[in-house]
Amino acid sequence: MINIKNLYFTYTNSKPYILDNVSLKIEKGNYVSILGENGSAKSTLIKLILNLLKPNSGEITIATSKMAYVAQKVENFNAQFPITVDEMLNCHKKVLKLKDKNLILKSLQAVGMEDHAHTLIGNLSGGQQQKIFIARSLIGNPELLILDEPSTGIDIQSMEDIYEIIKGLNQNLGITVVSVEHNLKAALENSTNILEMCHGNGILYNIHDYKSKLSEERG
Amino acid sequence: MFEYGFMQNALIASVLISILFPIVGVFLVLKRYSMMGDTMSHASFAGVAIGLILGYNPILCAFVFTALCGLSIEFLRDYYKKYAELILAILLTFSVGIGITLVSTGKAGANVNSYLFGSILTVTKDDLYIMFVLSIISIVTLLSLYNQLLYITFDEEGAKVSGVKVKIINYVFALLVGATISVSLRILGILVMSSMIALPVATSLQLNKGFKHTLIYSIMFGFIDIILGLVISYYINCAPGGTIALTSVFVLVFVIGSKKVLSIV
Repeated sequence: MINIKNLYFTYTNSKPYILDNVSLKIEKGNYVSILGENGSAKSTLIKLILNLLKPNSGEITIATSKMAYVAQKVENFNAQFPITVDEMLNCHKKVLKLKDKNLILKSLQAVGMEDHAHTLIGNLSGGQQQKIFIARSLIGNPELLILDEPSTGIDIQSMEDIYEIIKGLNQNLGITVVSVEHNLKAALENSTNILEMCHGNGILYNIHDYKSKLSEERG
Repeated sequence: MFEYGFMQNALIASVLISILFPIVGVFLVLKRYSMMGDTMSHASFAGVAIGLILGYNPILCAFVFTALCGLSIEFLRDYYKKYAELILAILLTFSVGIGITLVSTGKAGANVNSYLFGSILTVTKDDLYIMFVLSIISIVTLLSLYNQLLYITFDEEGAKVSGVKVKIINYVFALLVGATISVSLRILGILVMSSMIALPVATSLQLNKGFKHTLIYSIMFGFIDIILGLVISYYINCAPGGTIALTSVFVLVFVIGSKKVLSIV
């Protein structure tokens, strides 16, 4: 699904590179959690995959154009922004030039938020807002879903609901998931693979190998 | 009062700008870019001064100059990503510099004041034609880009990922802001232009509605502010810019007050 070859990136146009010769392959249908310390370029890597940043050199090939993104924080959004759930989803649908009238309802049902279509997004809790952003990402029937710390700043129940939804999308609909994670427990419980970012590079593990590695490290 | 030709012209112009301003304003305010209106109106001052000195139509010159400023703001955004307001200060300084330098030479003529404060007496048929054409082009463009603009305003990154041509649409929008400012020069005047970008939207935001309703209420408040201000300026014989600005503030205070009273009752 994603093939990265010899990727180099720096924000300052000078060395050291924060991504230094990264090469990896993410297979279709995988659920990959990206782990790593702060500043290990986890979010930078997904922004490069999303084409929001341009690499200094190297190549990223993505096998689908049906890609969706759920950001950690929507830049201009604040509690006073006057937009209802329905308006935001409808806007996304129209930008994607989709005609199916049931798409919005279906996507809201997929995250259990169908009763909130006419609510102002600012009036929803953090967890509910995140579900709405996941619903938005589902409107174009994506084959690749990229998330940046989907459970940041939300309560435990919503967190569990959100991981349940993402896992369901991966297992039931076959959507490839790539998610930057700060939540190790959720990553270990839900992912098929872990991409560990360290010193400007990333190592992709099968989840069982990563669990064994963790047990060895912890003795 | 509307039996007078100049009041009819002023009324037609007012209706156009009361629709146009809030549509542009709602996107600017929500992008936290309300000060762009201030910069662009000062840019129009430089455009008017150039027009008056060179003997071209000041509204058209203002449009060209504000459009160039709008495009420059978008261009420079890449250089000051986290300090976008600095770009506004840079262009405002440049425009005011040009405007003051040219006007103070004395060659711009005496009617500079009518552009600074607005004047209902000076809206000519030619001005009306220019205003009408620019307004219609702007309104049609804004409505056809409605979804893309809303997406960019709400979530620029998400819009890029969804395939919206963010850069191009931002440039088109900057041109539309330039057109809106130029169209309103005669009635509102340069000095109060930015208040009309922000105030109707600020009033409408008090109602806590969705985007479409916020936009409709902004147009409604903009219409009330401008028409009421225009009528008052006729009766007390003063520049409409001032009365329109004051009306917009009173309407905002009235809405906030009514909300408070209704919440108590």
